[in-house]
Amino acid sequence: MTPAPDPDSSPELTTSFAVDLRGIRKEFPGVVACDGADLSVRAGTIHALLGENGAGKTSLVNVLGGVYLPDGGEIWVHGEQQQFHSPADAIAAGIGMVHQEFRLVPTLTVAENVVLGSAPRYLNMTQITERVAHLAATYSLDADPTRPVWQLSVGERQRVEILKSLWRDADVLVLDEPTAVLTPAEAADLGLTLRAMADRGRSVIYISHKLDEVLSVCDEATVLRNGVTVARPGSLAGVERSDLAQMMVGEAAAQVSRPANQPIGDVVLALEGISALSDRGIGALHSVDLNVHAGEIVGVAGVSGNGQKELAEAIAGLRSVTSGTVRLLGDDLTGASPRARSREGLAYVPEDRLGVGLAPHMSVVDNSVLRSYPTLSRGLMLDLRRCEEFCESLVQRFGVQVGRLHEDVSALSGGNLQRLLLGRELTGEPKVLVAAQPTRGLDVAGIAAIQKQIVAQRSAGVGVLLISEDLDELLALSDRLIVMYEGRIAARMDPTTTTRAEVGAAMAGGTATAVGGSA
Amino acid sequence: MSEAAIVGLLVATVQFATLVYLAGLGELIAERSGVLNLGVEGMMAMGAVSGFMMALATGRPWIGFAFAALVGMAVAGVHAVVSVVMGAGQVVSGLAITIGGLGFAAFIGQDAVRQRADAVFTDLGIAGLADIRWVGPILFNQPPVVYLAGFLGIAAWFVLNRTRLGLALRAVGESASTTDSVGHSVTLLRSGAVLVGGALAGAAGAFLSLYMAAGWTEGLIAGRGWIAVALVIFGAWRPGRLAAGSLLFGFTLALQPRVQTFELSIFGLEVNRISPALLGILPFLLTVVVLIGISFRARHRPSPAPAALTLPYRREER
Amino acid sequence: MTDPNAAPEPTHAPLHTVSRGRARWHRGLGRPVLQRRADVVPAAQAVAFGIGIAVALIAGALLLLAAGNDPAQVYGRMIDSSLGGINSISRTLLRATPLALAGLAVAVAGSMGLWNIGAEGQMMAGATVAAGFAMSAGDLPGPLLILLMLIAGAVGGVVLMVGPALARAYLGVSEIITTLMLVEVSIRIVEWLETGPWKDPESQGFALIEPLPDQASLPGLFGRAHIGALFAVALLVAFWLAVSRTAWGYELRMAGSSPATARYAGISLQRKVLAALLLSGGLAGLAGAIELTGTATRLDPGLSNGYGFAGIIVAALALMRPSGVAAVAFVFGAVQVGGQSIQTLGVTSSIATILQAMILIGALVAAVLLNYRIRWVRPVGHEPETTEPRAQPTSSGTSHPGISPNPGASDV
Repeated sequence: MTPAPDPDSSPELTTSFAVDLRGIRKEFPGVVACDGADLSVRAGTIHALLGENGAGKTSLVNVLGGVYLPDGGEIWVHGEQQQFHSPADAIAAGIGMVHQEFRLVPTLTVAENVVLGSAPRYLNMTQITERVAHLAATYSLDADPTRPVWQLSVGERQRVEILKSLWRDADVLVLDEPTAVLTPAEAADLGLTLRAMADRGRSVIYISHKLDEVLSVCDEATVLRNGVTVARPGSLAGVERSDLAQMMVGEAAAQVSRPANQPIGDVVLALEGISALSDRGIGALHSVDLNVHAGEIVGVAGVSGNGQKELAEAIAGLRSVTSGTVRLLGDDLTGASPRARSREGLAYVPEDRLGVGLAPHMSVVDNSVLRSYPTLSRGLMLDLRRCEEFCESLVQRFGVQVGRLHEDVSALSGGNLQRLLLGRELTGEPKVLVAAQPTRGLDVAGIAAIQKQIVAQRSAGVGVLLISEDLDELLALSDRLIVMYEGRIAARMDPTTTTRAEVGAAMAGGTATAVGGSA
Repeated sequence: MSEAAIVGLLVATVQFATLVYLAGLGELIAERSGVLNLGVEGMMAMGAVSGFMMALATGRPWIGFAFAALVGMAVAGVHAVVSVVMGAGQVVSGLAITIGGLGFAAFIGQDAVRQRADAVFTDLGIAGLADIRWVGPILFNQPPVVYLAGFLGIAAWFVLNRTRLGLALRAVGESASTTDSVGHSVTLLRSGAVLVGGALAGAAGAFLSLYMAAGWTEGLIAGRGWIAVALVIFGAWRPGRLAAGSLLFGFTLALQPRVQTFELSIFGLEVNRISPALLGILPFLLTVVVLIGISFRARHRPSPAPAALTLPYRREER
Repeated sequence: MTDPNAAPEPTHAPLHTVSRGRARWHRGLGRPVLQRRADVVPAAQAVAFGIGIAVALIAGALLLLAAGNDPAQVYGRMIDSSLGGINSISRTLLRATPLALAGLAVAVAGSMGLWNIGAEGQMMAGATVAAGFAMSAGDLPGPLLILLMLIAGAVGGVVLMVGPALARAYLGVSEIITTLMLVEVSIRIVEWLETGPWKDPESQGFALIEPLPDQASLPGLFGRAHIGALFAVALLVAFWLAVSRTAWGYELRMAGSSPATARYAGISLQRKVLAALLLSGGLAGLAGAIELTGTATRLDPGLSNGYGFAGIIVAALALMRPSGVAAVAFVFGAVQVGGQSIQTLGVTSSIATILQAMILIGALVAAVLLNYRIRWVRPVGHEPETTEPRAQPTSSGTSHPGISPNPGASDV
């Protein structure tokens, strides 16, 4: 681990950086995303930008990409100071961004998407198609330029995004968690493409929190914590993943304590051979069998997009299953409405807390009564006073910090949104709690509060299905762990005896029999 | 039915088709960029009255026609500022322009009502071709605006499908944030498309007042702007299909005043008993049918409607 | 980490004659950016409405001046005729009633984020069905006949909305276009009835529909106003109660505000869409029947008189809130009455139409400016802190030393 070079002390070094971000500060109302973050990337390298969720990685690269105007700090690209007021400015300076949400026009073809924004004045599509195909071949990016983007898989779309940057001659390619949506094979191909780019003198900024992947793909790294650059380990050769992990979480890493063992009760949630389609109409769940008992936490691990979302929605009644049965407390609720399931004792904390779990432009009160408004009515009329009282008690019980009860819920911070949402779902004294990514993007205090609640529910005899991408959280909280891969349960493990590496292998499609205890 | 009646019907069909095609093409360009313009009716009225008055003043129909396009563009400028630059509601902004445009046209056109128009377009009578039986009067003896509309249609197709500008326009109508992220100005693209659309609507209005009606009265537009809005959907947002649709819509428009004079029986139905008013319903009903058909097809592939239609865009709203 | 033996850059580089560093003239000037204000202006929409009225009055005055009229005289006459005295107010109420009802119809759909652009057509359909009913049941006593006509009117509006509502709820077809298309359809159906099936045999050469029975006329309120104004107020109150105080209204608001959340909570979006649109159509149909029984002696294609379209503007200005609908409808009613009255001064009534449109445009712009701040973003290099002389920062030649045919050259 080499100490970070001080860019101000040696101007020669500065000019040799492809990208040099100094003391970048970016604030959003109520949140400081970057608080003096530095990032220095040498030309011809793949540079990992590491950090936990909420460390400021995405905000920092959005400043580099011209998406956000920074509130402070300097942007240097190849030794020249830049001021980006729009993505176009950044593109012009040779910065290519591949966001987590792709910026593609579904109805246009691959070639049209690639050249959009930097096409010749008159389009000769035959010629453009040829050139795009040639460019794709150069970097072993498999993509048919004539196909419309809406027909492409997620992996193919990502390749189109990379092609877009290459077409613009992007000298610095920024990828924000590129493998989150990829199959392991696609991720390996991506690694080869990025290496080919670096070998040709371009630079890659690679955002990830998957340490093994970073160690295998990247040359150097910068670690962010709470919006500040905390380590720049220079070359990654010889660096251990545990070192990186330590840098990411810091000294005061919030350790959740494993709940004491307790006897489990009856099966409260039983899935028998359920299959379901994704939004795109492709099989996303294949004959999943799963039991959750009262008083246990079953963790669900997996790379995002391997059926976890569909699993949660199928349980909640938001996605119809093509086969199989869903039983809640022994009753077959396969075809039941979300509301019927809720009445039967199912609580569901969805992945998108603002937008699905909570209505952004409705008030705190309106959002808090979403499950209980039918019981807060007098005849046809809603009892507004009881609604407010209900909301107040909810806010107090779960420690939600709110300004006014009648302001839009979107004014709340992430942690308070999640407290409100979880609190609302728990007020009906549920028997089963399905929580998808409940702590994602929260600060330390928020994470601790949410995890404490989940453990408390377990103690109270609720059966919990915890879907998370945070392996540490899963290993610390779960009584049992399952790993989802391509819509199937790829492994069932005992968290007390399993290592992160074993879970990781199963997440990448390793065989279930090779690892851990059974569940 | 006499040959003269049929030829007369088809000649009028081409002219009505031209009228709705010009306005529809403008609407198409605006909608492809993601802006619904419900102000066509008002823009056409403004174009009709201003073009007519300018032609009266100058004695030249072309000057009136060009002026009408400019006025249409100016009116569209209001829509561009309100709905694109400011990002306020496209639907209400467009409706306000239709209501206000009709009122404004009536206001400034008080003195022009029922004036005799000397400076109007005349039929072009292309030498050698205009005398051909059937085809000549229908295709080769039309006012110049008819041929201009054809040319503009081809030009619009070329720009949309074969130029950088057209690619950007198509993209901004599908996803403004994507188009912004690659460095195109969403505001400029959309405002430009709305302005061009307004110019075409104004020109269409002038074609009405400087040729088809050869005069100005309040109520001259009579819902043709709404037909243009319908036509864009019927034409699935493509210039070529728009042309086919405009011929069909033009046919129903041309048939309306004539239908009761036709002595013809189709499958026992006597054509002259068809109500002109009911005939006028046809374009709108067909459009609804097409819209529903599109939605069925859209289960398997993206709808031809621009995905960002009616969605305003503001960057970084955090 | 770069591999010096890597293959040289292939020949795609010359293709990028493309856009990097292309002159962007508009960028050189900087550009305006709208930023949401942190401090919200209280009652912003009311302020915006006031600004809209002011803008419209000023613009209208300029127009009048240009046309050789005295704005003070014209405005004086307009205000006097619409607000000066009980009779004037009754005339304003007469106009405000259909505006408020149409505005309410639009607001019902609007509170779920849907646009009923076809209120004009549904008014026509409602009036048509009501008139048809009156023609076939003209012997009924007045109050009963009127009540049944009003119900028939609501049914007529619902019938015209069934198609768009089903298409929207189950196929996702935009209700904006379908409702708009049906406006022309319903107006032309009345034109057809006028020339054929319902033609008054005594009208001879004129195309007129048979007159309504004498008793099919809404009782008066005071002056020119009829009790339809009371219906409008009652319906506005009922709608306000329903939306803000009932579980049904809560679900409606939730479904309109955040469809995904509503779905998550088990609220059927399709049923809510159907309910909102059909109710909207029914209210517009009712407005048509009230207009028919309140002001007309017979059905004619001009009966809806643009109230349906104006209702959209009313609802938009009111931000779909019932109290706002009442206020805006009253103002618009006054403007329309004023527009009629100035014809005796030799000024065209179209000035009223212009004023209404200007109020909306002015208020739309004012509302944006009240909620957003315009910040002028200067282009790169124009900020004082970066004025040190250097090469054009965004031009391609100078800022891209990193791309080189020989990858080793950029290795440090």
